[in-house]
Amino acid sequence: MKPPLSSPETESKQAASPHSDEMIRLHTVVKTYKNAAGEFKVLKGLDLTIRRGEFVAIVGKSGSGKSTLLNMITGIDHPTGGQVVVNGTDIYSITESQRSLWRGKNLGIVFQFFQLLPMLTLLENVMLPMDYVDLHDFEERPAYAMELLEMVGLKEQADKLPLAVSTGQQQMTAIARALATDAPLIVADEPTGNLDSKTANHMIDVFDELVRRGKTIVMVTHDPSLTSRTSRTIIIADGELIDETVVKALPLLRHRHMLEITRKAERMTVQPGETILDCGQPVDDLYMIERGSVNVMLADGKRGKLLAHLKAGELFGEIELLRGGKAIACVRAGTHPVDLLKFPRQDFLRIIEESPITAEALGKIVQDRLEEHRIKSRA
Amino acid sequence: MKPRWRKVFLDLIENKARTLLVVLSIAVGVFSIGVIAGAYAIISNDMSASYAANHPANIELRMADFNDDVLTSVRNMPGIGNAEGRRVFSIRVHPLNSTTWTVIDLVALNDFPTNKVDLLTPLAGNTNPAKRQVVLEKDALKQLNVRVGDQLVFELPDGTTQTMPVVGAVEDPTTGAGDFLAPPFGYISMTTLENFQEPDLYNRVYATVAQGQDDAAAISKVAGDVKDRLVRSGIPVDRTLTSKTHEHPLASTVNAILGILMALGVLIVFLSSSLIANTLNALLNQHLRYIGVMKLVGGRNRQIFIMYLTLIVSFGALALLIAVPLGGQGAYGLAAFIANELRFNLLGYRIVPIALVIQILIGVLVPLVAGLVPVMNGSKVTVLKAISGDLARAEGKSHHRGPKHESRWEKFQTNVTLALSKRGIHIPRPLLISLRNTFRRRGRLLLTLFTLTMGGAIFISVFNVRVTLHDYIGAIGNYFKADVELDFTQPYRTHEIQQLALQIPGVQSVEGWQGLSADMLRPDGSTIDSLNIIAPPAQSPLVQPILVSGRWIQPGDERKLAISESALSDFPNLKAGDFMPLKINGRKEQWQVVGIFQFVGQEGILAYAPLEYISQVNDLANQAVLFRIETTQHDRASQDKMAETLDHYFRAKGFDVLQSQAGLASLDTASQSLDTLVTFLLIMALLTATVGSMGLAGTMGMNVLERTREIGIMRAIGAVDSIIMQTVIAEGMVIGLISFGLAIILSFPFTYLLSYIVSLAVFQTPIQTVFTFTGYLIWLALILVLSVVASILPARSAARLTIREVLAYE
Repeated sequence: MKPPLSSPETESKQAASPHSDEMIRLHTVVKTYKNAAGEFKVLKGLDLTIRRGEFVAIVGKSGSGKSTLLNMITGIDHPTGGQVVVNGTDIYSITESQRSLWRGKNLGIVFQFFQLLPMLTLLENVMLPMDYVDLHDFEERPAYAMELLEMVGLKEQADKLPLAVSTGQQQMTAIARALATDAPLIVADEPTGNLDSKTANHMIDVFDELVRRGKTIVMVTHDPSLTSRTSRTIIIADGELIDETVVKALPLLRHRHMLEITRKAERMTVQPGETILDCGQPVDDLYMIERGSVNVMLADGKRGKLLAHLKAGELFGEIELLRGGKAIACVRAGTHPVDLLKFPRQDFLRIIEESPITAEALGKIVQDRLEEHRIKSRA
Repeated sequence: MKPRWRKVFLDLIENKARTLLVVLSIAVGVFSIGVIAGAYAIISNDMSASYAANHPANIELRMADFNDDVLTSVRNMPGIGNAEGRRVFSIRVHPLNSTTWTVIDLVALNDFPTNKVDLLTPLAGNTNPAKRQVVLEKDALKQLNVRVGDQLVFELPDGTTQTMPVVGAVEDPTTGAGDFLAPPFGYISMTTLENFQEPDLYNRVYATVAQGQDDAAAISKVAGDVKDRLVRSGIPVDRTLTSKTHEHPLASTVNAILGILMALGVLIVFLSSSLIANTLNALLNQHLRYIGVMKLVGGRNRQIFIMYLTLIVSFGALALLIAVPLGGQGAYGLAAFIANELRFNLLGYRIVPIALVIQILIGVLVPLVAGLVPVMNGSKVTVLKAISGDLARAEGKSHHRGPKHESRWEKFQTNVTLALSKRGIHIPRPLLISLRNTFRRRGRLLLTLFTLTMGGAIFISVFNVRVTLHDYIGAIGNYFKADVELDFTQPYRTHEIQQLALQIPGVQSVEGWQGLSADMLRPDGSTIDSLNIIAPPAQSPLVQPILVSGRWIQPGDERKLAISESALSDFPNLKAGDFMPLKINGRKEQWQVVGIFQFVGQEGILAYAPLEYISQVNDLANQAVLFRIETTQHDRASQDKMAETLDHYFRAKGFDVLQSQAGLASLDTASQSLDTLVTFLLIMALLTATVGSMGLAGTMGMNVLERTREIGIMRAIGAVDSIIMQTVIAEGMVIGLISFGLAIILSFPFTYLLSYIVSLAVFQTPIQTVFTFTGYLIWLALILVLSVVASILPARSAARLTIREVLAYE
């Protein structure tokens, strides 16, 4: 009998698609709802790629469009425009009914409210997707399902109805059900929303284990403790994705400010060793490193003393913008080309003014860097 | 409009499908009761009224030929109001463009425009036929398939034919009104009799009594007196029939049938009530959240209660708008159908006030009663419970967080599944969902099962009753086992007829029978009723009686007879061995009843005595008028052919043949009459089945609506359209099959009850109940089809649900 969860090796064999490394690709996905008040654009041309084996958190406020985004990925809703390719299938080029079968085979969904069928036992709930997609021999399905329940610690409860077990156990059953067809992609919508912290942690442990085995997990969550455990966080605000560099560089900003920066920031690429900021040069922008790394050099003389090595997700130029004056150090690209986001001074100062937490955090960074600058200048 | 009344209005018009379901649920009950109550009122009034309007004879005397002098003396007899003489004789006829003979009774009377008894209602053409002209009763027109103006070919006693035109059509609601088996009638003037080689004499008296026209005893006394006087004058009277003026002879039969219909109507109201209760329950469940919101903003229980009561009354009012006019039309249609079948007239279309009142009461009160409990519960719901999202999930149970105990039923279900799987029987989960879903809303399931089971049990019972009636008719056929009945107008030597008949290939045996007319007397010597004594050879294999008590006739019996059970109505204590006073050929005699047998009560009282003795009484040794012939082939077509052959054969040899007909002819006519009745019952059964399937459709619709979320989940984990549909349809079929099982059980008492009522109404005697697989198989097929049809729409809408809608629902 084949194990209920395939190994990364078997997984890779299965991924025979044109974009074999990509699990999910959204291309300019637009979703517009119409009602009596007029048209309302919920998703505004999203582009998103999620690779196999990633553990991704999608974060957003209520009404931001994160559920709609999840619905696009799971094939639950239709985009008004654009294309959604999941595991090599353009999922909106097939019928609703075909999509159900596709979904059963390709992705497991874990809902916030578990959504187990109340009339079936836990074991039967886990076997149900196998019946729907006709996976395994009919007689062997109970054994496969039992293994999955055992994996989530529910072997003893297998013959109970959902109402007879705790909410945590119901959610664990939902995860077992999501794994029933050995789908490569697990999508979870607020999976810990109704769980206590201990059960939530156990669930994330299970997710970690699944990722280790090669599954791709996309999870919508509000819980910051969960985003810290994912390999990637995607923030959606007002129907648009926030640039992940902005999220990393200024994580404490409000989503609308992040979105403004995403929209207004200018992209630039700098060649290896090229100077980005010269010492004493006036600084009019905040720089955020998207790819590559930069070296911050001491301004005095030719010794070129290295003050700091900044990597992707870090920012520079904030000292000059916050304190005024010219660059106290010079910044050069590292040994590889560097992609940067450049955000204008006036907008940055306004946003910082509206976001005291970020101002405070940045203030601390500025202090630390100035202190380091002072020490290294003396040395 | 105040916002809350606006809400009531919007609730009515916004969800049109739901409103339609509730309104139709109410309308079907209101319609059914309207049809039945209306038809009941129309028929019970019009049947007798239209019968009385035609001045029916209270006394009919079938007697030997007589002239105007005798008629005048009858008219002058005490107690007689009006009396008319007619000559009635059977004759074979066919339309000019056809060669198929039909036997009709021709009635010759003197003066059509001035006749006062058994009036004929003109329908078309000239209804006062001149010499060599014929007027036909509307049934005869239909049976012969001719129209006014067509020519008819009559076969005369000497074998020659006469062609005469049909000059008019009439309706005759009185002649033969009490006889299911009466042949079609034609009418001629007395002057035409000679063209049929008939004497210009009467053979029947149709008379009304001067007083007590609705007093059976008074009528019977006058009839007995008249008959006595006639017999004393040397005019033998073969048969005396009496009836009341204001009571159709079939009134008791029809009333019994209408009684059954009324019971069915009440049942349908009950069924539709459960349908309404189900629908309103579901509606209130959907509205609990709104009720919570209304309470949250200050709505009081009473206000909410009144709002929903108003909504229910509005549903009832809409249903009345549909059902009252349709019910009125249906009532008249049903009454017209029965009137046509039983040959009486209606007094015209009208709205029956009592039916209208019943409809309005049912249309308003039944939904109120059915909805009262759900509305009261709904209006009392707490805000917390109403606005929490757990109502749908909890399925009516109180919700609290954390694990709960599985109910006994839930444990039983899972244990059964486990036990089966341990024995290697694994039920696929989609089927398991259907099976377990069936029992989730047990209150709703019970109401649905109630409607379907009742519909099914009645449907099956109707088929059983049909077979019971036909079986009985078949048993009655044991009295008519001859393949051909060959009757002559005068006695012939039995041996001669036998010798001649046996020369025809296919004829196996010939028996000569005789008959004798007698009167049953009271102790004081007055006549109770006439009695036809049939006299076959005592050992005749052509009569196989259904004996209730005593024995059958034997060759040595003298003044002994076996009598039909219907005699018990006149002699309630009669038993085998008793003596019965009879008047035979004017002489009072004591005859011993040796046995009592079952027969169709409608046919009057019948007795059998051995030919060996009756031929002595009639002084017709070795002669017979009636011949019963057995042939090698016993099917109807062969019998018809042989009857035709014998008819030609004996006519050609100069014998006076009265008629030659297939042995099955009378039985087939009786069967057809019964089929009309059965069809009628079947319509009612189908109506109950319709209510049942509407109930099932409603239940499935509500189930799907409540399980929208679950259907979304199934879709989310890989269920394709067809599987979703299968799951819903399978649930409908499970409900259908359970109801079938229950209907089988219930069909037994229903069959016995219905058979008892119908047989008493039709045969005036309880008969042996017979069961048939047909009804069960047809209902099984029908219930499966109905279940699928009732589930298809909900299943389709379930399959069309997108998960986004499901999430929106959530």
